[in-house]
Amino acid sequence: MSPPQEEPCTTTIQPLATLSPPSSSRVWQSTPHPTLPIIATACSDRTVRVYSLTSFTLLHSITGGHKRSIRAVSWKPGVTGQSVLATGSFDASVGIWRRAEGGGQEEDYTHRRRGDGDEEEEDDEDDYQFSCILDGHESEIKSLSWSPSGQYLATCSRDKSVWVWEELEDDNFETIAVLQEHEGDVKCVAWHSEEDLLASASYDDTVRLYREDADDWVQVAMIDGHKKTVWWVEFEGSGMPMRDFRAEREGISEEQKGYVELMERSGPRLATASDDCTVRIWRRKPREGAAPSNSGMPSIIRSVAIDEDWYLDAILPQRHERAVYSVSWSRKSGMIVSAGSDGKIVVYKERWKSAVPNGVKAEDGTENPEAMQGVEDSALTEWVVVAEMYSAHDVFEINHVCWAMRSDKGRRSEDEEVIVTTGDDGEVKVWVLEKSS
Amino acid sequence: MDDKDNANPTILNASDLPSRRRESSVKQRDDGGTGLFDNLVPHHIYLRDPFEQPLSASDSDDDSVEDIDEQEIYDLISSISDPEHPLSLGSLAVVNLPDIRILPPPSPLSSISTVVVEITPTITHCSLATVIGLGVRVRLEQALPPRFRIDVRIKKGTHSTDEAVNKQLGDKERVAAALENGTLMGVLRKMLSTCE
Repeated sequence: MSPPQEEPCTTTIQPLATLSPPSSSRVWQSTPHPTLPIIATACSDRTVRVYSLTSFTLLHSITGGHKRSIRAVSWKPGVTGQSVLATGSFDASVGIWRRAEGGGQEEDYTHRRRGDGDEEEEDDEDDYQFSCILDGHESEIKSLSWSPSGQYLATCSRDKSVWVWEELEDDNFETIAVLQEHEGDVKCVAWHSEEDLLASASYDDTVRLYREDADDWVQVAMIDGHKKTVWWVEFEGSGMPMRDFRAEREGISEEQKGYVELMERSGPRLATASDDCTVRIWRRKPREGAAPSNSGMPSIIRSVAIDEDWYLDAILPQRHERAVYSVSWSRKSGMIVSAGSDGKIVVYKERWKSAVPNGVKAEDGTENPEAMQGVEDSALTEWVVVAEMYSAHDVFEINHVCWAMRSDKGRRSEDEEVIVTTGDDGEVKVWVLEKSS
Repeated sequence: MDDKDNANPTILNASDLPSRRRESSVKQRDDGGTGLFDNLVPHHIYLRDPFEQPLSASDSDDDSVEDIDEQEIYDLISSISDPEHPLSLGSLAVVNLPDIRILPPPSPLSSISTVVVEITPTITHCSLATVIGLGVRVRLEQALPPRFRIDVRIKKGTHSTDEAVNKQLGDKERVAAALENGTLMGVLRKMLSTCE
């Protein structure tokens, strides 16, 4: 089944913990806090559970806000002195919740007490307080996401629309855009890690990208390639060519160096997961250096300079047998993890293609970024599966997977990450990658 | 609900419906299978305890988990009432035994089996096809062990918008949201009230 060039799995996915106590019904999504070692889980029982990633126990249960399942949660980044959580529900509303966080956040992160139950004596003052509600969507909220700066909150719904909200001051949200480009439910929204560029994935099998242009949010690209519903969309971390396997510039060919430069000019890539069982990577055509004159295709359609070209960069080795609901890109290692209806967790990494002999293309002229466009075979890198885990939630579906910083006492390095999966069995599980050799 | 799409549907006689419970009947199951060992398989015990493993089963005994067959699936869904007619989906031939398939796990490492049910709406533009499909999916989700994935589809060529309906029925998020809709749940509860 596996192509011969793939290396055998020398890495395994090992269970570290199941967050306790689990929910008695389906849980949809778990989002790690941007700075604290806690994670919020959106539950079908209309609650949000906030668990510790240090003790793996429940710290807070947020109840009483929504009338139906909570489908999505997102922490506002860049906030000091408090934690701000946005919740999206099947009741068509978005809730904003706040909790005061004592002390500096860095201090909290590193000196947090590790004993069990140290949070349980807290009184209501320390609970998450309902702050405000954002109404506007006509049907179930499917996903929401704060922009990296915390300035914008994007929400999406079965009503086919994507809304962008701006928090002018605490609890004063203004709708700054209602984007109605999709022809079906919008399943997921995600922000670019460096720019105010928003992506949305839909039941109409497409992904769309938007940005602000002269006070108006407009669609700047449409990605068409998946054959079924696109369930998840997520951008690569910022500056990854400086962190992942591409950071090592010694001993690579001129062609590979040129490729890394091209990647850096493209910026963070986009990963998508679909009902068609595939995970795909998309890359932006760099704005500068795109010389339309030497390609056979004059750019007559592009009348607006703000439009972007995104094209297929790679299709990850297909290991899922049913819908892939979620995919997550490590901000530390550049590895990708995916999970879905078949209950499997699959971890992939990118590497240089070994088969490419150095300097083969150097004859045809020095730098020709166009040569790589849209043609997978010309890519200098490849994605391989490094580990997979069957039946991660017993026989249940996995609705969400993400990376989080490892924070328990077994942590082996500052940068060590864990994989967190959220399943139909009501459980949130934490996994570590173990090298086995 | 304004117009009954098909006021005079074809109704099958109850004794003509596929069943293994009326063993004395001359009517045999018509799915083309051998049926030879069917009577040895207990009917519903595995539905109640999906994780019970036969004590003596060895690892090589691949059949040990395949303990639910198409007839049992049929029995679970054929008694669902049609939302329009006071008749069962079995007697209306909306669900038919040959249109039920159980797919084994795709890999020895997986324990996920798939049940594929193709339903035949009474006429090609039946507006309630989605509701019927949802009823079948919900019934099977409630009755079968969770290791089964349930794919309910409209039988190809029998419905004008089958692709759109199939997409909706296959979308777990839409199904989950639909089950939180009180009106729809009322309809489904009524449909399922005739099941056991």
